[in-house]
Amino acid sequence: ASVFQPISDSHRSAALDVFVPVDGSYKSLEEAYEALKTLEILGIDKKSDLSSKTCENVVKVLQSSSSTLKDAFYALNVNGILKCKIGEAGPKDIVSQLQAGVKDAKLLLDFYYSVRGLVLAKEQFPGTHISLGDAEAIFRSIKSLSQSDGRWRYSSNNPESSTFAAGLAYETLAGVISLAPSEFDPSLIQSVKTGILKLSDSIQKYDDGTFYFDEKSVDASQGPISTTASVIRGLTSFAASESTGLNLPGDKIVGLAKFFLGVGIPGDAKDFFNQIDALACLEDNKFSVPLILSLPSTVISLTKKEPLKVKVSTVLGSKAPALSVKLTQALSSKSVDSSVINNQELKFDADSATYFLDSFPKNFDIGKYTFVFKIVLDESAHEKVYITEAQTKVPIAATGAISIENAEIAVLDSDIGSVESQKKLDLTKDGAVSLSANHLQKLRLSFQLTTPLGNAFKPHQAFFKLKHESQVEHIFLVKTSGKKSELVLDFLGLVEKLYYLSGKYEIQLTIGDASMENSLLSNIGHIELDLPERPEKATRPPLQSTEPYSRYGPKAEISHIFRIPEKLPAKQLSLVFLGVIVLPFIGFLIGLTRLGVNIKSFPSSTGSAISALLFHCGIGAVLLLYVLFWLKLDLFTTLKALSLLGVFLLFVGHRTLSQLASASNKLKSA
Amino acid sequence: VDNPTDRRVLVLLDDLSLKSSHSIFFNTLKSRGFDLDFKLAEDSKLALQRYGQYLYDGLIIFAPSTERFGGSLDSKSIADFVDSGRDLILSADTAASDLIRGIATECGVDFDEDSSAMVIDHTSFSVSDVDGDHTLIAADDLVKSDVILGKTKIEAPVLFRGVAHSLNPTNNLVLKVLSASPSAYSANPSSKLSSPPQLTGSSISLVSVMQARNNARVVISGSVQLFSDRLIRSGVQKAGSPNQYEKSGNEQFVTELSKWVFHERGHLKAGNLVHHRVGETDEPAIYRIKDDLEFSVEIYEWSGKSWEPYVANDVQVQFYMMSPYVLKTLSTDKKGLFHTSFKVPDVYGVFQFKVEYEKLGYTTLSLSKQIPVRPYRHNEYERFIPTAYPYYGACFTTMAGFFVFSFVYLYHK
Repeated sequence: ASVFQPISDSHRSAALDVFVPVDGSYKSLEEAYEALKTLEILGIDKKSDLSSKTCENVVKVLQSSSSTLKDAFYALNVNGILKCKIGEAGPKDIVSQLQAGVKDAKLLLDFYYSVRGLVLAKEQFPGTHISLGDAEAIFRSIKSLSQSDGRWRYSSNNPESSTFAAGLAYETLAGVISLAPSEFDPSLIQSVKTGILKLSDSIQKYDDGTFYFDEKSVDASQGPISTTASVIRGLTSFAASESTGLNLPGDKIVGLAKFFLGVGIPGDAKDFFNQIDALACLEDNKFSVPLILSLPSTVISLTKKEPLKVKVSTVLGSKAPALSVKLTQALSSKSVDSSVINNQELKFDADSATYFLDSFPKNFDIGKYTFVFKIVLDESAHEKVYITEAQTKVPIAATGAISIENAEIAVLDSDIGSVESQKKLDLTKDGAVSLSANHLQKLRLSFQLTTPLGNAFKPHQAFFKLKHESQVEHIFLVKTSGKKSELVLDFLGLVEKLYYLSGKYEIQLTIGDASMENSLLSNIGHIELDLPERPEKATRPPLQSTEPYSRYGPKAEISHIFRIPEKLPAKQLSLVFLGVIVLPFIGFLIGLTRLGVNIKSFPSSTGSAISALLFHCGIGAVLLLYVLFWLKLDLFTTLKALSLLGVFLLFVGHRTLSQLASASNKLKSA
Repeated sequence: VDNPTDRRVLVLLDDLSLKSSHSIFFNTLKSRGFDLDFKLAEDSKLALQRYGQYLYDGLIIFAPSTERFGGSLDSKSIADFVDSGRDLILSADTAASDLIRGIATECGVDFDEDSSAMVIDHTSFSVSDVDGDHTLIAADDLVKSDVILGKTKIEAPVLFRGVAHSLNPTNNLVLKVLSASPSAYSANPSSKLSSPPQLTGSSISLVSVMQARNNARVVISGSVQLFSDRLIRSGVQKAGSPNQYEKSGNEQFVTELSKWVFHERGHLKAGNLVHHRVGETDEPAIYRIKDDLEFSVEIYEWSGKSWEPYVANDVQVQFYMMSPYVLKTLSTDKKGLFHTSFKVPDVYGVFQFKVEYEKLGYTTLSLSKQIPVRPYRHNEYERFIPTAYPYYGACFTTMAGFFVFSFVYLYHK
């Protein structure tokens, strides 16, 4: 079962978001009508904001002789709300157009727009006499589109029947009846009623008791909301126009109301309009008016001692007639057979129009309940016939503060069961317990939980968590029997489950339940575990996710380390050794001077002297060439020059040496 | 790519009424220029491709209980869709089908195997007069990323009712966007627990995102209601907190997340990678060791409407051969140009300039340009070596001595 709420201010504020005009007007008169109708039903006055531009469109359509039936229909609908000023000639023209439309109509939609348009015109223009002379023939023409299952076809050429079309048809037939100058043949009316009953047999049902209509075909363009709204509009119109009673079962009416209330707040403008318009039809209909029992809050806090409040209203939130509300049963989810509360009548507060129960029996404890309410209408005669559910089942959650007592944690020696270290715990705040244990010991945690009435309490969540410094976590359930909750961890049996991870474990305890108003998460402290070395084949700890923030980010910069230049001696040292190298040359020159070197053998004749000079110049040139080669010449240039100099040296050298040899021979002969 | 934002989005629903009940979310997408094509998940005409061309840029799946898609859609074609670089919003919920779970597993997310389990939190729930089972979570543990969730801080908690999932730790592309509180757990709220739940605490992810290596983006949510009008319009008060918010953070959360997943935000592009020697403007065909060079690259960020200069201080360039020899952070002129200068290493070979940029929420950048580095040519070493002066002196004095000796030897008497 679920709780249904009548239309409230949240719908009103949402309507202002859903029906937002563009530049002060709507895209079409159909949209304008849907917006204005919805806002009118919800009691929101937006007419003055919208009337000028929208009325321009309305007047334009109603004064034009070429308007379509659909445009005329919606223009009249809008005019019914805004009451635009239309000239004298307008109504006559539009009425004659609509009457011609009825005469020529072949499609269901053409019948719908023209007949309903005439009904609207009759209401809005009292001076104009509007009636259908051939009403019965029109009735039969519309009826010929019906199917045996109560559905309707859109045209005689279209074999597909539609529930949505049935709603349009019943609304159209209601219009024909109201426009007819005389009473209809009762058999015609009866055949339509038979169709209506067959259609209502095809109603769909949800598990929670809501009813809705849907199309047979999966390719239908209309969803359940628009289809059901169309049928409700049709049925309520038909019931209003027809004098003899047409009855739908009360549970179906309540079920249809619950369907629309269960939709919530639609985001689609058309769905929103269909929801509100259908509920408005149900709010005021000839069958019976559904009353909705709703609870502002289904959570009862035993701590705050708030009364249980119940409201009864129509679907749009209007006041209900005089009635009384009884809480016939309060069934606990723990013991379904016995009821904690029986046949308790709720008191009525006229100021807030609320029925309330301000005291609960002494054995009403926290937990989940199903409250069964019954509405008893006073026997006085009402203007309207009201219908309620036989009984309304509402899930109720009773909450309270749980007492947590005798909390302690201890390390036990496994062999003799003696307590090695024991600590008292205050679970309402984080602790700083520091324990240590090895694989031959046990860890025991215990506490007591009681409800406000002193009964035993078993929380849905009682988790004991050990979290290793490597972020590997282990969770254990704390078992509860009676009032005591206890957990004993025998580490000898847990070493494999703990993946043989020694080290520091953070201890965390979570106790929580939907009925518990003081659910807690307590960091108790830590325990240092000394476990054996992990065997080779033991399971490894699972992978832990890396922190996304540390995964990204710039990397450390890398600078290239250039090779260190080779270590060279200082430049000054090189210069010193350069000087040392030059010393032998200087010594050589000095030595020659000391020896009294002369060049007396240099040739004295002119030819020989020139030849000798050329020879030595050639030698100097070769040496100079070597220096130039070192400075900048390449090998090929050097070799070319060297070959020329070589040839030159060959000749002048030969001549010089020959002459020296001749001179030497002369001296020997002498 | 001129405009990296998706435009055509296929929306798969298991109930067409979701179009109305989730209209605020869909309307924010429409108002931002998306073409939404709504289809039932079992429609027999469903197709993502026709004649090898993809019909959509993005896919939204709000069909948690669908066992089999219609038409040519299946788990594999959706994986191919993401592999082609397109984006996905996938929402599971209680009673998620194996099909939906399978798609989520492909993306690195594992939903709780217990199909009756949902996220329960007895301390971080949303205070409500109607819901008493603490399954309406008021979550405020959001990822700290301006790119994923926008610059404006989401003040109100995000309402969540649905199933838990965990991230595959071996998958480093997937990321928690909305996490549960340490006291949360995943279980069936209507039955007693007989063994510890598989998923507890902060390791529970409520909404996750993944960005694939090809920069395709996926959002995975454990709740379809997260996107619903009802939760968007609902007020929220976290249990134990005095702060009351008239409106939940859901609208801001789902809107900003959709901006990220459909590449309205966090999309980078880089180009115009330029390098040259200091003092020159032309890009050389080859560098010499120890050359001083300047490097620059332009990076832009898509703002949803245009490319704007990207401003950051953590873009890096690598000078790479088998491993990076130089890794330097680029400076920016805040107009999109990132630049630096460094000396070419004294190692020769074929190097690459590499810009590989990964930042949380942004698309990855990966550029590279190949450039050879040569050693000194023979005529580029220093010409006169001071250390060799003694050897120079030795040569030249020997030559001079020889010249003098030639006179003495020939003409002495």
